[in-house]
Parts: sequence; C-alpha cells; structure tokens
Amino acid sequence: MQSAFEAIATPRRRDILRLVHTEELTAGAIAANFGDVSRPAISQHLRVLREAGLIRERREGTRRLYSADTGGLDALREYLERFWDERLETLKTEAEQEERNDGNA
Amino acid sequence: MPDATKTDAIVREIHIDARPETVFGFFTERDKLTRWLASEATLDPRPGGINHQTHPGGPDNPGGPYLMRGEFVEVEPPTRVVFTWGFENPEVDVDPGASTVEVTLEPEHGGTRLRLVHSGLPHSELASHSDGWTEMLERLAAAVEGRSRGT
Repeated sequence: MQSAFEAIATPRRRDILRLVHTEELTAGAIAANFGDVSRPAISQHLRVLREAGLIRERREGTRRLYSADTGGLDALREYLERFWDERLETLKTEAEQEERNDGNA
Repeated sequence: MPDATKTDAIVREIHIDARPETVFGFFTERDKLTRWLASEATLDPRPGGINHQTHPGGPDNPGGPYLMRGEFVEVEPPTRVVFTWGFENPEVDVDPGASTVEVTLEPEHGGTRLRLVHSGLPHSELASHSDGWTEMLERLAAAVEGRSRGT
C-alpha cells in the first residue's frame, strides 16, 4: 500500500488529481490531457493513486470512471491517528516497565 | 475549552498496568516523555507553562523533524493533563495553539485507564472544499519535495 505522500510525489500524478477533482473522467479522457504520456503509464498512475486512497474508481457499463477521493487526502489526520496508536503503545510499555522498577526499588 | 463540535477529535483509550501516579510523569517529566513521545522536550508543567517537543521525521512524515510548540493548560496530578498541540513547521496544518490534547487517567484494576482526546484538528471538510483541497495538495507536495531536495 502506497502512502498518500508517495503517491503525490510525482508531479504528473498531482496533475491527474487536479483533473479528476472537478469531474469524473475515464482513463482515456485523462490520457488525452497529456500528449506525452502513454496510456499504460496513465493506468499505472491511476492504480497508484487508487491504492493510496486518493481517487475512486466507478464502473458504468464497460467504462471505468475516476474521481478524486478527497477523504483520502486527509493525510494529516490519518498520520496523527497512527501516531497516537504507536506512541500510546510505547507509553504502555515504558510506564509498565517503570512501575516494575518502582516495585523493585 | 476546545470546541469539539466543529472538528473531529481523535479519541484513544488504553489500559496500562501501572498506577496513574506512574503514568502521569510520562506527560510532565522530560526524561520520561522522551521515552515514548518525542526525541527532545522542554516542559514546564503548570498552566501556561511551555510544552515543547521535537518529533523526528520518519518514513510516514517526510517533512520532519516536527517542532511541536504547545502549552500546558491543566495539570492535575495524577488524573488529568491538558496541553495545546501545534507545529512550527508551516507544512503541517496545525499551528501552535490550534489543537488540544486532553489526557485523563483513572484507576482501573490496579492499573490505569488512559483516555486521550486530541481535538481542534482541521476538519475533513477542508479537504473536500476546492481551495482547501488544492492547498493541501500543494503543501503535501512541498513537504515531499523538500525532503528529496534535502537528502
């Protein structure tokens, strides 16, 4: 699973995010905006963005439509939730160790 | 008091097999706080006293080190400690004083039930709002690129 940070490290992927922020587009329509990028390369970018939770994919008949998943952009919040989970686990370990040391003192 | 209605607070509860008296010091004593929360800290644990912490960067926070510049709001050993939480780093969307961490410690089965509420964080609405979205994207990008340039 790619992090949102890694996913947006590539300027092209940020361009794609801007495109699909205002409208839902097919991979073909996205590719049409970038004359210098191959269709497989666009598909690869879309895959990375989807795995990072930054875009959504929706099927309509045989078409696949992509749009920005703005909830996934709340990277700061996700980061902080993980941060507190990890820190509090460490606090538990350290405080319990401290308690045992006090008992032995 | 933090306005919990305008933001989504992060709430965590955990049981620790140590008395509240033991756990409390891990929020107010430098040598203990640096064992779990920060790599460096300057603490003046009384209302209005500084709570400065340095958090090293890591794989998930490419813009680090993060300089947390908080202030103690309530210090009531061994049951309650409240401090503000914000960062000097402009790329972090939490300015000094903007958010609040509220910790309560209650005795439980010979140990402690710790409850942490981190409120005042930017609402996810910021991300869905067009300007906020673009801004956040640019800020994240700047943080990522800042790291690759710096290393």
